[in-house]
Amino acid sequence: MSYKILEHTGDLAILVTGSTIKDLFLESVRAMMEILKPKLAKKKKQSRRKISITARGETDLLIDFLNETLALTQIYKEIYVKIVIDQISATSIKARFLGLPVMEFGDDIKAVTYHSANVHQNQKGEWETNLLFDI
Amino acid sequence: MIDKTKIQKINNVLWEIPKSFRSDMNVPARIYATESLLDEILGDRSLEQLVNVATLPGIQKYAIVMPDAHEGYGFPIGGVAAFEPSSGIISPGGIGYDINCGVRLLLSERTLDEVKPYLGTLAQTIYQEVPSGVGKGGRLKLDTKKLEVVLRKGAREIVAMGYGGSFDLAQLESRGELSEADSDLVSQTAKLRGRDQLGTLGAGNHFIEVDVVDCLFENKTASQWSIFKDQVVILIHSGSRGLGHQVATDYIRIMMGLMPNYKIILPDRELACVPFSSEAGQNYFQAMSAAANFAWANRQLITWEVRYAWGKVFGSENLPILYDVAHNIAKLEACFIDGEEKSLLVHRKGATRAFFDQPVLIPGSMGTGSYVLIGEKKAASETFSSTAHGAGRRMSRTQAKREVNGFALKQTLEKEGIIVNEGSLLGLAEEAPIAYKDIDEVVEVVHEAGIAHRVARLRPVAVIKG
Repeated sequence: MSYKILEHTGDLAILVTGSTIKDLFLESVRAMMEILKPKLAKKKKQSRRKISITARGETDLLIDFLNETLALTQIYKEIYVKIVIDQISATSIKARFLGLPVMEFGDDIKAVTYHSANVHQNQKGEWETNLLFDI
Repeated sequence: MIDKTKIQKINNVLWEIPKSFRSDMNVPARIYATESLLDEILGDRSLEQLVNVATLPGIQKYAIVMPDAHEGYGFPIGGVAAFEPSSGIISPGGIGYDINCGVRLLLSERTLDEVKPYLGTLAQTIYQEVPSGVGKGGRLKLDTKKLEVVLRKGAREIVAMGYGGSFDLAQLESRGELSEADSDLVSQTAKLRGRDQLGTLGAGNHFIEVDVVDCLFENKTASQWSIFKDQVVILIHSGSRGLGHQVATDYIRIMMGLMPNYKIILPDRELACVPFSSEAGQNYFQAMSAAANFAWANRQLITWEVRYAWGKVFGSENLPILYDVAHNIAKLEACFIDGEEKSLLVHRKGATRAFFDQPVLIPGSMGTGSYVLIGEKKAASETFSSTAHGAGRRMSRTQAKREVNGFALKQTLEKEGIIVNEGSLLGLAEEAPIAYKDIDEVVEVVHEAGIAHRVARLRPVAVIKG
């Protein structure tokens, strides 16, 4: 698990790390999938989705990417078990997801917020950021 | 963390951080709280956030926080701020992601003694009829065209579909419909998230409660409102579901991109905002109004489902609505500034409208109590006619899960005579009473402050949660 849960009164805050910025994005999505606590449907029909996002910088890019991914999980009632990032830069990302249908989610994430999010390299050279989920 | 010595005591339930506290404040910040609640509020970043709100362009009189305050993002939960429409801003963070999360109270004609033998069956039937949790669709799956009508007309459209009567609409804040709504300004993503969510409860702190009127404080008002001691009533707490969440997400993103154009510099970027008079400001206001209408439509369909469940157990009986209030919303309202009436854009984020002589509903945490109050004239001059919205969290969800075992909590509640139907024991633990402030103390503050005064206290006897 490449994330740590932090204390926050009303919502769910985590600290995510990754060895590269691509890893950070992947770990962030994986963390969000775990937080949703999906209960998989009996029929395991796979789905494939694509996302393409641009933003002003890495932090906004990550938040917007996570929100777009969240919206897809909610619209299609599915969870993403495989994520492939085809292209990533400081201001854009293209990714593909392999999804499985979900009966329901154990937790409700309303949105991923920008609060205290700051994608940066720490002293160990790892990429990290706080993420606050409105739940 | 704000130094308590910098906070001036005005009276036992009102404190002020003066404008001089920070050079970028446009108005003072006011906190409605007892000293012990203030000490709790000082335990997180609520007041730093409130001071940040006080710096926003066009803010009038005070940035205010209610006794149930806790840290949010941007605005604190329990926050109230009013802005001059031509010079001020609109901020989605001042409303929250769950646009028009709110509360509705239904009244039965029965006493607890009459209902008690059937309470388990009633709770189970409500649990079956009202989809709860996350990912379960409701009984209405609307195509885009029909959904857009709901976004424009709110509760009125649900009534038109046969789920209630016109008598319901008079009992809702704004009659369950904001005319400013424009469904075209709600994104396709938001519509897709909401298309099957009408009549669903959600999860987290959303609930349906079967309560008993435990105590009357104001017999005359209670009688006028058809409330009597030992009466069984039903409280519904839910919001705009995924549609509202997406509207907020969409417009926060848009506004963050536009803010440099308006040279708005913020101490916290979650306060993302634009001038209310700008195209983006008006677009968000209209989209937010549409999401608010969706929430009223949601609570109207849930009302029908609860009435249907009640009918299955007791046969056809009236369950009229006492009132329905929003606690995450922004509205243009007539307010008093220095004795002069002005139209202001009032943001309420975890705060309830308290108009003079109108019902106010303040639900407590699960297993404790809730209150029905009546709005007072003083609220208009002091708090932009606003009051608290609930007990307010005092403990994080992770800490609550560490300290509380959901199964043990359920057993404790059942020993106290409260039936619990829940979708998740972990979710139950997160909502444990110890995670919340003392509702009696919160309501005492608003009562003593003269914003709203107590009419009745409700005690839960059954809780239905996602």
